[in-house]
Parts: sequence; structure tokens; C-alpha cells
Amino acid sequence: MSMWINRIDTHILPINFQYHAPKTLEEALKLLAEYGDEAKILSGGTDLLVKMKQRLIEPRHIISLRNLTELRGIREVEGGIHIGAATKLREIERSQIIAERLPLLHEAVKAIGSIQIRNMGTIGGNLCNASPAADSAVALMALGAELHAQSIEGERIIPIENFFKGPGATALKPVELLTAIRIPPPPENYGWAFRKIGRTSLDIATVNAAVLLTLRGGRIDLCRIALGAVAPTPVRAVRAEEHLRGREPTPELIQEASELVVEDISPITDVRGTAEYRVEASKALVRDALNLSIERAGGGGR
Amino acid sequence: MRQSFRFIGRSTPRMDGVAKVTGREIYASDIYLPDMLYARVLKSPYPHARVKHIDVSGAERLGAVVVTYRDVPDVVYCPRLVSTPEATYKDWRVLTGKPLYVGDPIAAVAAESEELAQRALEAIEVEFEVLEPSFDPLESMRPGKPLLHERIRYMGEEVEVENNIACTMEIEQGDVERGFEEADVVLEREYRTNRRYHCQLEPKTAVVRPEPGGGVTIWTTTQSIHNTRLLIHEIFGIPVGKINVVKTALGGAFGSSIQTNIVVPIAVALALKARKPVRLAYTREEDLHEHCAYQMIFRLKLGARRDGRLTAGSLEAILDIGAHQIQAYPLLGCLVGWWVSLYKLPNLRYVGKAVYTNKVPSCAMRGYGNPQITWAVESLMDELAEELGLDPLEFKLLNHVGLGDLFWGQGPTVKSIIKSSGVEELVRRGARLIGWDKRPKPGAQRGRYRRGIGFGRGFHTSSAGAPVPGTVVDYTGAMLKVNEDGTLDYVTAMMDCGGGTLTAHAKIIAEEIGVPLECVNIVRADTQTTLYDVCTHASRGVYAGGAAALQVAREVKRKLLELAARVLDAYPHALKIRPDEERGQGVIYVEGVEGREITIGELASMARHKNWGTIAAVASVRQGSCPPHFTAYFVEVEVDTETGKVRPIRVVAGADVGRVINPKLAEGQIHGGFAMGWSMALLEDTPYDPRSGDLLNKGFITDYKLPTARDLPPLEDFQVFFVETEEPTGPFGAKGLGEGALNPVAGAIANAIYNAIGVRFYELPITPDKILKALKGGERR
Ligand SMILES: Cc1cc2nc3c(=O)[nH]c(=O)nc-3n(C[C@H](O)[C@H](O)[C@H](O)COP(=O)(O)OP(=O)(O)OC[C@H]3O[C@@H](n4cnc5c(N)ncnc54)[C@H](O)[C@@H]3O)c2cc1C
Repeated sequence: MSMWINRIDTHILPINFQYHAPKTLEEALKLLAEYGDEAKILSGGTDLLVKMKQRLIEPRHIISLRNLTELRGIREVEGGIHIGAATKLREIERSQIIAERLPLLHEAVKAIGSIQIRNMGTIGGNLCNASPAADSAVALMALGAELHAQSIEGERIIPIENFFKGPGATALKPVELLTAIRIPPPPENYGWAFRKIGRTSLDIATVNAAVLLTLRGGRIDLCRIALGAVAPTPVRAVRAEEHLRGREPTPELIQEASELVVEDISPITDVRGTAEYRVEASKALVRDALNLSIERAGGGGR
Repeated sequence: MRQSFRFIGRSTPRMDGVAKVTGREIYASDIYLPDMLYARVLKSPYPHARVKHIDVSGAERLGAVVVTYRDVPDVVYCPRLVSTPEATYKDWRVLTGKPLYVGDPIAAVAAESEELAQRALEAIEVEFEVLEPSFDPLESMRPGKPLLHERIRYMGEEVEVENNIACTMEIEQGDVERGFEEADVVLEREYRTNRRYHCQLEPKTAVVRPEPGGGVTIWTTTQSIHNTRLLIHEIFGIPVGKINVVKTALGGAFGSSIQTNIVVPIAVALALKARKPVRLAYTREEDLHEHCAYQMIFRLKLGARRDGRLTAGSLEAILDIGAHQIQAYPLLGCLVGWWVSLYKLPNLRYVGKAVYTNKVPSCAMRGYGNPQITWAVESLMDELAEELGLDPLEFKLLNHVGLGDLFWGQGPTVKSIIKSSGVEELVRRGARLIGWDKRPKPGAQRGRYRRGIGFGRGFHTSSAGAPVPGTVVDYTGAMLKVNEDGTLDYVTAMMDCGGGTLTAHAKIIAEEIGVPLECVNIVRADTQTTLYDVCTHASRGVYAGGAAALQVAREVKRKLLELAARVLDAYPHALKIRPDEERGQGVIYVEGVEGREITIGELASMARHKNWGTIAAVASVRQGSCPPHFTAYFVEVEVDTETGKVRPIRVVAGADVGRVINPKLAEGQIHGGFAMGWSMALLEDTPYDPRSGDLLNKGFITDYKLPTARDLPPLEDFQVFFVETEEPTGPFGAKGLGEGALNPVAGAIANAIYNAIGVRFYELPITPDKILKALKGGERR
């Protein structure tokens, strides 16, 4: 067995690395191209530094995004809302545009850590860290976001569905940087809800869930349900979505749909909760989120 | 008749408040000395092993000073010196070649920076022979299991350990079998508590400076500077006079620094070898591998007659103490003491066993076993009342140990008669405030959200004082001297763990003499300039420490009046002292004769000019009893039956702490006690990973959750009231509070959950997972 216990000293960063603070995006991409696998991007550092202190990763090069103002900010663009990858969570939480246009994201972001954490942490970091429990991820999945990745080779767009590959793993290549998140304009009169269960009110989710739906003629039309911390990546509850689509949202239907959630999740037992608990909690959260979404979509709810 | 006071009973800001909120208070970890080295500890990665080979040359090549288990004095000790030798087992060494838990210190390094020290640590090579561990006391006790300790020391002799049982205690009073036969209802249940971590703000730290002449100066996180000094003397043989432990502010402890923390002897060993100051500050992760609370398994049986009288009780307690004894034997005694002091048991039997396991050593944590046993007793009393068809409040009041009864303040050797009790009033008033009559019938609700009200009562001792010596040391020293401007220097070895203890002492002094509170200067003292104080623990700070403060204040006042009588040409007994806020000091005057007055400063200056000497007093005070302070909690909770989450709705908390010295701070203790109890009932535990043998959370605080303000009831739904009694033996009638503020909380919450959903839980913490499982099971039935 390793002497791992003797390798952590959280007073300091007990590893050697070189620190880079590029002034332009181009410079950053060049550094990435050069160091690739050996480099790690430093955005807010609230995940990265923890992992370095825990000796889970030992990057040789750290590339800080601190000087790259082009990676920050929120604006309305053609085709939706653009959020720079290095935008602070606190800025998103306080943004008028987000509160009005994407209240689902607003709520998910507000559920992340404490104010101190949100002052440091960024949305790009939350996604690229690829924790199955990332709070913004479920919201962005329900919103159908697209992620913009860039390398010296050029840009590509990754639908958020295809972004997460496992705990800590994303579709980004080592030379790629996430530059922005683009959220398409939500449909008219949509309903939404974000729900999170943690051990306390300041915790990584034991389970989180986001729902976005619309009603047409009293029936559920568009419907997206995303869950976190119940599979190796954030997941869509596709079976439940299908079951709901085109149907009238009766309490029985909601109940059935929430039971179907188990088909798309594969929770594990860890310090935050048992697998069995996560199954039960997922059903309860989805039921709650569906009811609230239907109510918000003008369907009266229950 | 109620006296009127100037300072006692009024809320005054704590005297260390400004320094603390502005970040200017000095804690042990703020001490940086010239030429200081930074230390790191090499910890065992195995829960049970033997070091076959250790090679430190790599570390030394980097320029580090290294000590291993082979370089430290061959002394087996107990890090806690509160009990007398008759009640102390010794099984510790500074560093070990036979680690007994993941995190057990094997070697240590010191280097010019923390970075270098860390690199040196990683350069040490160790080969282990891995031994079979056990993580459960029941398993550990099984014959044939590998022993953690084969021999330990007691009263200077070696004793053999059998089946990993560290120590035992048995007590029997009356005829238990007959008692249970006389009962109409007998209930027997098994309870299992959690293994909590203290989560005090300040991780353990020691800074040690070797002095010319072979001495050492020590700054450390401790609840007792004098016991730290005595232990270092015991281990290293340095003359006591050459060891100076300096008081620094303590960032909380909750009992985890009653014993001298392992960082101290390790830093001393390094400093002596390096001949340079050494600083050893634990990280949070290391701190989580340093101490935790005692986890207990109880088999508890109570019998009662139809009329509600308890006839008998039996308690079998198994304590999972981890790898070492810190105070396991005294705790076995305290545990039975807390048990028999809750409710009168005419016949009783107690068997307590403390068992070694390959886990982090357990030590006292706020309440010292009392929160654990009170949770079990308050739960079972609730159950028993229901069986008997009685209101739990009446049932408990009928049987409670109260005024005139014998109270076990610190085990079988520390007992005294209860002379003040507000129990009845606490229960009645609390019941009215919460609306006890309107509480739902258990299990009657059907909806998703179900609310319930629970009641728990309890107490804790105030000090380990007693009319006879016993096996617990308990006395305090104090010095008070008058300065030439009328201010006073108050010198005590007693630590303030953050509860405002020393502010209370200052209030007692200001009140007694009659000076403005600001005149009392709390001196930052050390072991060389103070009289012995045992420790700030056992809720004794105000009751026992305050008694010493009161005694020196009385003596100083007597001397002031004597001298003033000369100057003012009046009789001492005709003189009075009033605090003069304008002049910022006390004024001595002849009552009824105008103009015949002198400030304390003028008098002290005159004493200097006329060579009368310093006006001062010294006292070493032992309290002759251990009065319980009482608390009662009424808690309303709401259970979400779909997520299993429990939410606090309302709290009514009453306390009888004798005379209240500082209401705001006393209320703060209640709020803190509730938060800790809430956490104990629903959240905290430090489970182990059987594969690695390490804590499941590996020491990371991110996975040791405590409630935040948002998880607790809003202040307007948290009502605190005091039932003031006058404790005849306490300073101005005061008793303790710190621990009683916690003890009944988990029981009250467990009873509230039962009231809401009709399910009882026998294992802590009551997690959402367990609640959902139980509810599902219930529906199947
Ligand atoms: C106390 C505490 C509480 C927390 N609570 C929550 C919570 O409730 N919910 C939650 O979801 N998270 C929580 N977190 C985790 C963390 O704060 C968030 O995930 C945060 O959004 C991470 O952002 P960051 O900018 O700090 O990321 P960083 O730590 O800077 O980066 C995280 C990872 O992403 C990579 N990365 C960052 N930006 C980019 C980019 N533009 N392109 C490519 N790779 C990139 C980094 O290399 C690194 O691997 C908590 C953390 C702490 C310490």
C-alpha cells in the first residue's frame, strides 16, 4: 500500500510545477499545444488546487486563465446566451440576463458551495472538472447547452450530452480549452425546476436534478430531465422523458415517470449516501421537479 | 432575597472579542520564531503493523533533522494527567515502531521550510510487517484476535491485556433481579452511537523553543498548560522549572486538548535534537487522525411499575476507544455516574468495558459520554412512558434525581449532594412554550411532511469538586494585584476555550471589588508565573475557576479597605467601593460622609510611595462539591418522508445554570450545544474503510459535515430561557453550562422524530437513508 497519507500536506502545494499566465487566448492555446498532457488549466482553482493538495494529480505545468478577459462575461447573442468559460459563478448568479432568461441556471449556480467558493469558481471549471455531481451541469443539460472548445487547430462545438465521459473525464482533448458555453433561447412559456439534496445546505449533491418542459394543449410537449451524482456522468432520464411526452400530466403519470428514472441511473454508495438512497431520492427529486415545472409552465401542477 | 448586581447577570462583550474578530488574537499557530524549523510527521499507512526497517538517510541528505521511534525516550505514558495514578493506565509512546491505526506517528522531520520538510518526509523509506487489524470492539474482544497492546502500565507496574480489553468497571447496587421482578413493564434495547470528530476550529499545534540550560518554552493548543508541563517533565526528564508552557488563545477544543496532544512531545523531541525552535502545526487532515469522541454500544434495560416508579436498571456499555487509552477508565466511571444521576434507580447493575480497536484514539468530547448515554436513556424513558400510558414529562419528573439527592459529578469517587435545582420549572415552562399538550400522536400522520415534538432533559456536572479527594484532580490557582492606576492584573493558568470563561472571572472580580470591568486585566501568563490549574474541562471554568477569582478578589478588597481606612480615617467595615466609570476605576468612600473618598489608583500609588507594598492576593482553591447544571430541550422537527430529510422547526431550550453571569454568552452556549447535538443526532460519523483501514473520508473535512446556519432554526424560532437558582457553593451562585447545553439534545431530537413518524432509531446518526429504509419497512408491515 502506498504512503499516500504522508504525501498530503494541505498547508502547501506539495508538488513542483511551472506556472504560466498567458496574456492572450492564442498564447494559452500554444502553451496547451506544447505541454498538453503535462499541463492543467487553472481557472478558479477550487477543484484543481484541492486535487493537487490531495496528490490526486501532479501537473508539471499550470496554465492560468486569469489574464484572459475574453473568456469572461455573459451576453445575449444570436442563437442564445453566451457565457465565457472563465466567468465566475458569482457573476452568473448576479447576472440580470441569467436571472430573467435562464432562471434554471441561476438557481443551479446559486446552489454551488458558498459565496466564497462562487467568488472563485467558474462555470467552465465546474464543467471541465466533470464531477458527476456538478450542479451547473444538470441545468445546462436540461437547457440543451453547447460547449465551445478551441485549440490551435481551431474551434469545435460539443453538445453537452456528449461532453462528459466519466468522473473527471471530458470530451476535450489535452490541447483543447473550453472557451464558452452557449445556451439556446428557451422555448416560450416553459416550466423549469432545479432540485438538490446534500447532507447539509453547503455540500456537493448527493443527488441533483433539473427539469425543463413545455405544455401544449394541456399535454407535455418538450421535456428534458437531467440528474447528477447518480451515474459516472450527469445523465438524462430518457425513459421518463419519453413516458411523459404527449401525455396529460396527471399525478399518476408523474409518479410513473419518476419511477422510470431508475432505468437511466446507476448510482453507487459513497460517503455522501448509499446507492439505494440515491435511487429513492432521485425519484422524489424528479417528482418534485416535474410538479414544479408543470406549475411554472401554467399547468396548475399539484 | 435577590441581590442587585452591577455586572453579574448583565450581558457584556467578551474581553477577547475585539482581538478575535479583528484577527489580532495570537493562537499557537501564529507563533513564528527566528530560526524556526517546520516539522512534519511520518504517519502509518496501515491500521496495524510493525516497522521492520526504516531508512531516514534520504531525509537527512536534504538537510532535515529526523527523529524516529528509536530516538525518543523509552517512556510509556498517558497524555492526560487529570486523574490520579489509581485511575490512569499508560499505553502511549511519543513515536511508535508498532503503529496501531492509520495515522499513528512513527517518525518526524524538521527543516527550514514546510516544503522542504514535506520533501524530506517523502524521502523516508519504511518497510512494514502488516498485522491483522480490527475495527469493531466486539470483534476486537474475540479471543485469539491479535492484541494491540500486550502489556500496558498501571501504578508503575506492567499489566497484561486480555482480549484487547483496555479496562473494565462493574457496579451493583440493590438487587437488580428483584427490581425487575417488581416492575410491571421492562424494556431492553441496544443503542449504538456514532464516532464523532471534535471539529474544533484550530488544528493541534506546538511551537517549542529549546532554551540555554536545557529547558524548553512551549506554545501549544491546550486546555491545561500545567498538565502539559508535567507530562513533558515525565517523558523527557527536564526539570519542571525549566519547562515553561505559555498561554496562547485557544481556537476551541471541546475536550480534544484535555490531554497533551501528540504534537507537543514530538516537537520537543525535534527541538532538543535540532537545538532550534520547531513548529509542528497539524493540517486538518492530520487533526482528523489525531482524536475523536468515544463510540459506545449500550445494552440498556429499565423496569417501572404502573404508578411510574422505576424499579431497576441495568446497563452494559462497550466503549470503542481506538488505539490508546486517554481516559477510558475514568470515563467508565463517569458513564455510570451520568446514568444513575438522571433518574433514581433503586436497584442497578452496570458493566462497562473499554476496548482497543485499530482506529484513531478517542478522547473526551463536550459532555464526556453524557450526550451518548442521555440519548439512550431519554429515548428509552420515552418508550417506557408510552408503554405505561404516562406523559413522558410526568414520568421523568417523578423519577428524576434532584434537590437533596446524591449526584455523581465525575464517577464513583466524585459525588456531592444537590443543593440547587430548577428541573421542575424547566420542564413545566418549556412544555408551555412549545405547546406540549398539542403535540401529535406518534405515527398518526399520513402526509409527506410530518411534524413531531420531542423532549429531552439532562445535566452535567460543574467541575469535579467533591467533599473528599477521590481520583480526579480539581483545583485552581489565582493571583490578583492592584496596579498604581487602579487597574488590576488577574493571573490564572486557566484556559479560555472560547466560551468566555475568563471574561466571567473578570466580571466576578469587578463585581466583588467594585471596579469598572475594564479595570480587570487578564494577564497572558505561563506555567512559571501561575499557580496550578488542572484544566478547563468538566464545565468547571466559571464554577471552580470563578471561585478562585472570587477568593482573591475578596482578599484584595479586604486589603484595600484596610489601607483606605488609614488614609480616610474611618473604620474598614464602614467603607464601600463603587466603580466610577468616569474616572475609569474604583472609588473607596465612607458611606454618608461627603468628600471622604479615594480612588484605588491613588491608594495604590500612596502604598508605593509610602512603601506599604503591593496590594495583592494569591489563592489555590478546591471546590467541595460538583453541582449539576440542568437543561431541558423541546424540539419540533419536520420529516420529509420522501427524501428522509429532517428539518428543525422550533426549539425551546431551558437551563438552570445557577446565577447567570453573562446572559448573551450563556445563550450562545445553548445555541452551540443545540447545533452540536443536531449534528450528533443526524449527521456526524467517522466510519472506516475496511480495505485501507483508513477513515472513509481520509481525513477530508469536505466529507465531515456539520450543519451551517441555514440548516439550523432561525433565531426567532429558537427560544432560550433560564431558570435562575442560587447555587450556595458557586461564585455569586453560579454553576457551569458548557456541557449540559449539549447533553440532552440528541435524545430530544430522536424523540421528536419518533413523534413525527412513529419510528425509533437505535443507531446514530439518524441519516435520511435510515429514515427511508425504516419507513419502507413500516409500510410493508
Ligand atoms: C468548499 C467547496 C464547495 C463546493 N461546492 C460545490 C457545489 O455545491 N456544487 C458543485 O457543483 N461544485 C462545488 N464545488 C466544486 C467547485 O467549486 C466547482 O466545480 C467550480 O465551479 C470549479 O470551478 P473553478 O474555476 O474553480 O475550476 P478549477 O479548479 O480552476 O478547474 C477545474 C478543472 O477544470 C479544468 N478547467 C477549468 N477551466 C477550464 C477550461 N476553460 N478549459 C479546459 N479545462 C478547464 C481544470 O484544469 C481542472 O481540471 C465546491 C468546491 C469546494 C472547494
